[in-house]
Amino acid sequence: MARNMITVAVVKRLPGFTLDIAWSAEEPVAVLFGPSGAGKTLTLQCLAGLIRPEAGRIVVDGRVFFDAALGINLPPPRRRIGYVFQGYALFPHLTVTGNVAFGLRDRPRAERLDRTREVIERLGLRGIEERYPRELSGGQRQRVALGRALAIDPALLLLDEPLSALDRPLRESLRDELRRILDDWQRAVVVVTHDFAEAYRLGDRVIVYDAGRVVQSAPRSELLWQPASESVARIMGIRNVLRGTVVKATSDRIQVRWRGLTLEAVNSPTRSYLPPPDAPIAFFIRPEYVRLIRKDRGAPDPVHHMNLMTGVVVSDVDFGTTWTLRIRLDEPGEPAQGAFDLEVEVPRLVYEILEIDRDRHWQLSIHRGSIHVLPA
Amino acid sequence: MDLFPLWLSLGVSLTATALTLLLGVPMAWVLARKRFPGRNFLEALVVLPLVLPPTVLGYYLLLLLGRRGPVGAALAALGAEIAFTWRAAVVAAVVGSIALLIKAAQAGFESVDRQLEQAARTLGRSEWGVFWSVTLPLAWRAVLAGTILAFCRAMGEFGITLMLAGSIPGRTQTLPLAIYDHVQANQMREANALALIAVGVVALLVFGLSRFARVRF
Repeated sequence: MARNMITVAVVKRLPGFTLDIAWSAEEPVAVLFGPSGAGKTLTLQCLAGLIRPEAGRIVVDGRVFFDAALGINLPPPRRRIGYVFQGYALFPHLTVTGNVAFGLRDRPRAERLDRTREVIERLGLRGIEERYPRELSGGQRQRVALGRALAIDPALLLLDEPLSALDRPLRESLRDELRRILDDWQRAVVVVTHDFAEAYRLGDRVIVYDAGRVVQSAPRSELLWQPASESVARIMGIRNVLRGTVVKATSDRIQVRWRGLTLEAVNSPTRSYLPPPDAPIAFFIRPEYVRLIRKDRGAPDPVHHMNLMTGVVVSDVDFGTTWTLRIRLDEPGEPAQGAFDLEVEVPRLVYEILEIDRDRHWQLSIHRGSIHVLPA
Repeated sequence: MDLFPLWLSLGVSLTATALTLLLGVPMAWVLARKRFPGRNFLEALVVLPLVLPPTVLGYYLLLLLGRRGPVGAALAALGAEIAFTWRAAVVAAVVGSIALLIKAAQAGFESVDRQLEQAARTLGRSEWGVFWSVTLPLAWRAVLAGTILAFCRAMGEFGITLMLAGSIPGRTQTLPLAIYDHVQANQMREANALALIAVGVVALLVFGLSRFARVRF
């Protein structure tokens, strides 16, 4: 278990920015996720030894890379780290082979050739070995960068925005391919990304960064359903992050007053968050979990349809396979999100069957399990 | 016709260019990559030879390296006299031309993406290894351009050489000094011939290398 253990705690002061973070991961793939400028790349540079922190300790697989108190700071060559830079940083004066073999200079010639051939084979670079980086496509460049880093058999692999240099369709197919390579790799990996879908797809553990600090570190599924705070939810790009006041909180239910309605939500028993009545509270409702009540099916029954409300579709956006409806509730007062209260996502088929383009007034229902309370 | 000035100039310029590379490339790298107190002063010092009058430079070098100068006296005691020997012409050529190499090489090193050097570090290279395997291979055109400029400038060095090495025919009279002497003596045919040779050598270097090595100045 300790094999993949990474423990990082660093403080690094730059003009106008301070990185002060601590996290650890036992999972093979840890993702540093957060907006740009949050300190994710700086953390990678500290891990790689390219930047020296003022204070802290970095331990990978039981090897101490850095310890300010003990005065330990291994130089990059001695850390044996595979670093895939954002934009890849391939050597433009070397061929694919030259790039992949770059880190193997100290090995005996036969071993160097074998290892280079093996990596080229494994990453599907056969046939383009003699090309220069400028002659490669984005996906090929990414694989060369990965191959160059993996060739030295590093103790830790660092990937900085590995997919951001690619176009969207390619990015999606390479995301899966990258995950396969990482699974295959079976060593500690740290990935930096500002894209939540990428973080979720690639990471076993997601560490959320904001303004030089770690605001949450959790297994990915936990993060998806239990962001630690409203700001984490906003960084994740969760829609319908709303604010109300507490009516009553028990260990398994929480009643929230919002827009003149009283909503009932499930309180997480593991978290036992019990705010006092009238306390402000943030919560979110995933747009794909809001139900539209069909008008041709009789009155909604209270067992299956809770948290009922009515509203008007003020605008809708076609995303191809889904439609996003922006709904303004019939309640008096200012809408919660500018011109509307809730975003609701419906499959295209539902949109067509219910003729939402024509019929704009709807009754909605949200299951209590789909209202997620965010601790303050 | 006496071609000694041509051979002397070529010898002096080649020696001076070798010294210029040896001193100038590390200096250019330091200026491009390191931040330290006094860096701005050093940068100004480097361009000084380009802006000071050559005779002024030559004068101070003479004070420094002449038989009674602090450095000159010490070197003379070791048997290496400088002032008014061919060595003085080399010193003059280095001083007059090194700024061109440093500026060109520095710009070349600065244009190398630091991330590439960082990548090399993570792949196990020492600072020395990073320079030879990444920085220099990516900046060699700029270094070569600076070398050619420095060589040409060394070939044409006049003022500093005159002050420090004199214009002793058959000993320290380089090509530009010889041309000047021929003109003074109204030997226009000789002056013309030497001037054409000088133009030929420089043109060959500049156009030849810019064509074959795709060097841009």
